[in-house]
Order: sequence, then C-alpha cells, then structure tokens
Amino acid sequence: MGNKKGISTRGEEIRSYWGFVLPGFIVYFVVMAFPMVFSLFLSISNYNGGSLFGNVRNPLKFVGFKFYEKMFKDPYFYLALKNNMYIVLISVFGQIPLGFMFAYILFRGLIKGKDFFQSIIYLPCVISTVVIGILWKSFFAPNGAFPELIRIFNPSYVPGVSAHPMFKVLFVILWMYTGTYLIIFLANLQKIDTSIIEASKIDGASEMQALRYIILPALSGVIVTSMILAISGSLKSFDLIYVMTSGGPAERTSVLATYMYNKAFKGAPNYPLANAISTVMVIISFALIGVTKFVEKKFGGRE
Amino acid sequence: MANIQDNKSLKSRLGLFAVYFILAIFTILAIYPLIWLFMNSFKTTTEFQLNKLGFAQKPTFINYQDAWVRGKFPMLIVNSVLYTGITTIMIILLSFMSGFAFAKIKMKSTKVLHGSYVIGLLMTLQSIMVPLFLVINWMHLYDTKLGVLIPYIGIGLPMGVYLATEFIKSIPDALIESARLEGAKYWKIFISIIFPMGRPVATTIAILTVTGTWNEFMLINILTSSDANKSLPVGVQKFAGALSSDFGKQFASLVIGLVPMLVFYMIFRKEITKGVAAGAVKG
Repeated sequence: MGNKKGISTRGEEIRSYWGFVLPGFIVYFVVMAFPMVFSLFLSISNYNGGSLFGNVRNPLKFVGFKFYEKMFKDPYFYLALKNNMYIVLISVFGQIPLGFMFAYILFRGLIKGKDFFQSIIYLPCVISTVVIGILWKSFFAPNGAFPELIRIFNPSYVPGVSAHPMFKVLFVILWMYTGTYLIIFLANLQKIDTSIIEASKIDGASEMQALRYIILPALSGVIVTSMILAISGSLKSFDLIYVMTSGGPAERTSVLATYMYNKAFKGAPNYPLANAISTVMVIISFALIGVTKFVEKKFGGRE
Repeated sequence: MANIQDNKSLKSRLGLFAVYFILAIFTILAIYPLIWLFMNSFKTTTEFQLNKLGFAQKPTFINYQDAWVRGKFPMLIVNSVLYTGITTIMIILLSFMSGFAFAKIKMKSTKVLHGSYVIGLLMTLQSIMVPLFLVINWMHLYDTKLGVLIPYIGIGLPMGVYLATEFIKSIPDALIESARLEGAKYWKIFISIIFPMGRPVATTIAILTVTGTWNEFMLINILTSSDANKSLPVGVQKFAGALSSDFGKQFASLVIGLVPMLVFYMIFRKEITKGVAAGAVKG
C-alpha cells in the first residue's frame, strides 16, 4: 500500500468506511436498534427483572400474546388511548390550522412586527416542558391564579374537581406547540415566489382565491409532513402530563405513555405489559401515518 | 409588501383590525403565564395569597436565594451544560463521519446501516424506554453520567446522520476524487474538506441537539436517581414539583429553570427557527 501515489486501494476504502461508520453505529445499536427489537421480545415473555437467563425461581418463558390480551381487557388502556386521540385531534385540527393562520398573516405582510410576533408565539416551545407543566399546574391550582381570574367575571366561582380534566391539558398542549407549526409553515411559505401572488392580484384574484389556488397547493406536502409530525408527537406526549397531572385525577388524564410508565416503573415492574403497550403505540403511530399518506395520495394532488 | 396599499377600503380595514386583534390575543396568551410566573417569583407566599395577579408590592429576592441553594441549582446547571455539550459535540462528529462514509464511499452495507437509522428516525422513544433501562443496568451504568450520555448520543444520531448524509451527498464527487488522486486519505479529506464545508448543517444539528438534550426529561428521570447526576429539568421537577404550597420559591426555581434556554433562544433565535424548519422536512 502506498507504493503508487494517487491510486486508491479498495483496502483503504473498506478500512476508512468502517472506521467512520462503526463508532456511531455501535452506540446507535446499543441504545436504539437493539432495544427496538428487544422490546418486541420482552412483550411476549414473562421477564420481570433479574438475570435474563438462569433465573431458577422464575425461568424465562415465552407466553405469547398473554400480556397483549391483558392490556386489551384493561379499561384504563382505553381511557389512555382515548386521551391520546384527543391530543392527536387538538394537534391536527388545532395547532396546524392556527399555526398556518399565523404564518399566513405574517407571510403576507398584513401586519407589522413579524419577527416580534413570531418570536413570542414560538417562545413556549423552547422552554423545558417540566417548567411549563409545573407553571400551569400552579396556575390552575385551587389556590392559583385561574380561579382568581374566573372570579373577576363570576364572583361566586368555587374551584372543584373538574368534569373534564383533559381540557386543561389540551389547552396547554395547544399553547405550547402551535409555534412549531408557525415556524414550519412560515419557512415554507417564504419559498413561494411572491410575484405569482402579486400577478394573480393584478388579474383580479381575491386574497381568498390566492390562498386557495396558489398557496395551499404549494404547501400540500408541508401540511402532510406537519400532520405526520403532529400525530407522532401526540402519541409521544409524556413529559407534560407526567409533570402537570401525573395522569390524575383518578387516571382521567393518563395517556398511553404515562400508562406504560406506570406499569414499568411504578410499584412492581411489569416489563412485558409495558412493552406490549409500547408496541401497540408504535403500531398505532404507523397506522395513523399510513392513513395520512393514503389520504394525501388519494385527494391531494401535489402540483 | 405591496398589498398594504390596496387595503384601503373599510372592509379590509376591519379585516386588518381583526387580524391584529387575534394576533394580540394570542401574543398575550403566549406570554402572560410567563409574566405571571416572573412577577410572582418576587412575592413571599403570604403576599401571593393576598395578591395573586398583580405585581409584587414589596419585591423580595429571598425566593431566589433560597431556591438557588436548596434546589442545588449550581450543580444542576453544570450537569446540564456537561450533558448538552458532550452530546452535541459527539453527535455532530459521529453524524458527519457516518454521513461521509454513507454518501461518498461505495459499500453494499450502506443500504442496511443507513436504513436502520431512518427507522430510528420514526421510532417513538417510549418503545425503547424499558429495554434501554435494562441495557443500561446490565452495563452497570445506571445512575452514572456515562449512562445518560450514551443514550443521549444514540438517540440524537438518526436525525444527525440523516441530515449529514443528505448534505454530504450534495458535495460534488469531483472534489473528493481529485483529492484522492493527489493521494489524500479519506480521514484527511474528512478533516480538510467535508468538516469545514458542513458548517450550516452542523449548526442545524447543534441547534436541534442542544434544545432537545437540554430539555430532555423522560429518560434521565428513569436513568438516574442521585442528585449528583441530575439535569436541570429533573432537578426542577423534583424540587419545585414538591413545593405545592410554597409558590414564591417554586416560581423562583421555575424562572431559574427557564432562563438558560431563554437566553439561548434570544441569542440564536434565527438559527433555532431555521433548524426547526429543517428538522421537520424529514417526513
């Protein structure tokens, strides 16, 4: 090697390739690739801690779909699933339209102070969810500010157990993440050639028509991407609920992620059940993304 | 933009007013809770009970002094800086290394390896939470700093590798081939050509990693137990979350918890918004 300058040897290529790829891939394998597969394995086993093999009292066995059955019989699973779906709905039909509306207003230059509004609306997204969760928890607390604010309008208001505890959570989720979609839409709106819009205006098109026939078609891809992001993000939601309500009162704000966490890390661990839940979460997430892609193919002609 | 001129009719003036009105409401909504938090961090608990909505009559710093010491904030901040800094540097380095190999060295294994990163991009963190917890335990890394860093690096890699590969693909092959013809080794090309050219993508990866790692809560919450290994979010959760009636102190610790990210946001606002938009293109 090295006798002929200027001619690359395959040997060096192979050595460099693995030298570049392996350090990262080993970490990735240990932390993500292996756990992904191992999670499936756990969900059909009876493993509950201790050494994996050679555990005499409780030898490792495959129990098939026993824990999936157990999960599907648990009413709390459906409660968590329902709450997760509320979050999906508020994300897709709340955050995305609102984010789009703000982005559109700022993009069209209808108002001054674009940077200011953008920065403020995005601000909640950069703050730690833990801080936000505790802040809103105190805000809504019986001795917090929310009852005080209500009393300005309704002096006889007495805070009690809410009939719909998810409302508060959904409100905070809407408050937190709308800015993300504002940023995504604004960045992509700015790629549109404004001269086309101006030309259509000269030809007598109204603002609405420009929106309907020029801007929305150009953004259809981004809208679908945002929906996928919103759906997978909604199914992941954990931090906020864990901090703000920890699923309470009486599990009525629990979501699949907190439900899973409780099974694995609260009290006696039930790893198989926890992994059955997470597997179902992944399946639901892929299914919803699949539906979104399907709808896009069927109805949304891109360009 | 030009359309302001033709917005002269009464109808569009009303429209404009409505637009301002809606934006104003949302801006107030976005910022009011944070202002409320800030105001109340200067009140004693007694004052808070009497005056929940207004400014502090006798502002006091006692909450901050108390929280800073009892919440062990200096240590938490050092830990967070350490976790975020090391994770970001390692992810940028490893992503560029892998991206370079995937994009510019022809190998059959690229398809499988790169493909597995793409799957990681779509994976939810919850689905690996329990197995990862077990793996870290088996490696005897539970409640150690390394046991937090390794997962953080591994979890950030799919996005980093994806962005780096896409970018390095766009660098012309001719540039690398001519360096090869002059006898340059791959690692030399990596250091002298790829890394310097990759600054824009490195910035994007850095922004996404810093914001993600700094605020990460779920994993570090299950992977650590002693105070010495906690990050700012876990520390805030354990300390401030427990102060359910001592509002002043709680709010002071929340303010301490959010200030570092607020400063980061104020400095890198442009880069952050660009990074978020770039990170979302993956779909």
